[in-house]
Amino acid sequence: MAQAVEPASPRKVAIATLAALLVAALLLVTVVLPAEYGIDMLGAGAALGLLGLAQEQPVAPQDDEYRLDEALLRVGPGAWLEYTYRMEAGATMLFSWQATGPLDYNFHSAPDGAPPGYAESFDAQENDRAHGAYTAPFTGVHGWYWENDTASEVTISFWTAGFYSEAHEARDRADGYHPLTDLRGNEVRDR
Amino acid sequence: MLAMAGAALAVAALPAVAGAHPMDERNAAFVQSIDGFAFWPFLYLGAKHMVTGYDHILFLVGVIFFLYRLRDVVLYVTLFTVGHSITLLLGVLAGLNVNAYVIDAIIGLSVAYKAFENMGGFERLVGYRPNTRWAVLVFGLFHGLGLATKLQEFTVSENGLVANILSFNAGVEVGQILALSAVLLAFLYWRTRPSFERHAFLTNSALMTGGFLLAGYQLIGYVLFS
Repeated sequence: MAQAVEPASPRKVAIATLAALLVAALLLVTVVLPAEYGIDMLGAGAALGLLGLAQEQPVAPQDDEYRLDEALLRVGPGAWLEYTYRMEAGATMLFSWQATGPLDYNFHSAPDGAPPGYAESFDAQENDRAHGAYTAPFTGVHGWYWENDTASEVTISFWTAGFYSEAHEARDRADGYHPLTDLRGNEVRDR
Repeated sequence: MLAMAGAALAVAALPAVAGAHPMDERNAAFVQSIDGFAFWPFLYLGAKHMVTGYDHILFLVGVIFFLYRLRDVVLYVTLFTVGHSITLLLGVLAGLNVNAYVIDAIIGLSVAYKAFENMGGFERLVGYRPNTRWAVLVFGLFHGLGLATKLQEFTVSENGLVANILSFNAGVEVGQILALSAVLLAFLYWRTRPSFERHAFLTNSALMTGGFLLAGYQLIGYVLFS
């Protein structure tokens, strides 16, 4: 079955195995460790200019105007609310919201140029709070959809800070019927 | 392999099970990529992982290096597939959280092992060669644990989990067929040249170097980050 074409001598196999270990160790120390982990024991990584590959850039300059917002949002029993922002790809926003009761929420985003009804969901669950940072993976509209399944009104204390524009609020229609829409108000048809 | 893909395709034909939670149903369009059954995304992820996963491909190169008959290729690749399918399914279902560095280091060592076997190292140096079929099956089990670890990075929902694993597994087989076809074509050509016999030993030494390099890279990652 699996056999060498030419029977190699034990000596040859031993030498080849040792050589494989040595070459692997050499490549590891001179190239892979500096490039992947920033470990440069022999200085080869610096000499070859590989060290930069292992470094994450801690500072990401942003182009948009810095904004700071605070809102008190009321969601009636059985109602929903959508709050979205325009953000450029790579723009970052810090957010923190806390509600007086549990809400079904969905943080989702629709890229510019996407077909009507298309959005990507990044965080969907039931909770009364969420805090964190969001960096837009693409240019488009990004934001929260909250739904109040309880029998009493819920108030959301809502703070955002970062690099976005055009905050937009959408609410339940008066008759209580609310088709699922993408972030531009197009009804989601693909259900 | 084809049976696995067939089973996964049969599962794919079933309608997605609607979530019990009202949010699931309403926002199915939004969350389908992470919540509920999503055949194509998981199929794609599985295939991509296999095609771009040089560790799996290096191992397959080692496995088919001296397999001249198509029947043997099919036998060994099936053993590998059975092995990794078992641990992929069980690993995700049981939520087995094997350290990714450790498992990837073992996968690297599996490449070195196969190359050592191809060089005749077990007969010549150890005096005993473990059964090659069992070895491929056992390493298949380890490769499957690696796949399970990768898949669990994507899976956030219990909803549609089994169907999604099967989709991912089917994708792994699709990717494996793609990668294997390319490797086999190259070997079919190379074997007609005199350079194949001349450089077979050296090539397996290089394969072994690659395996050791991968293992070292992962082991140091384990020391640093685990």
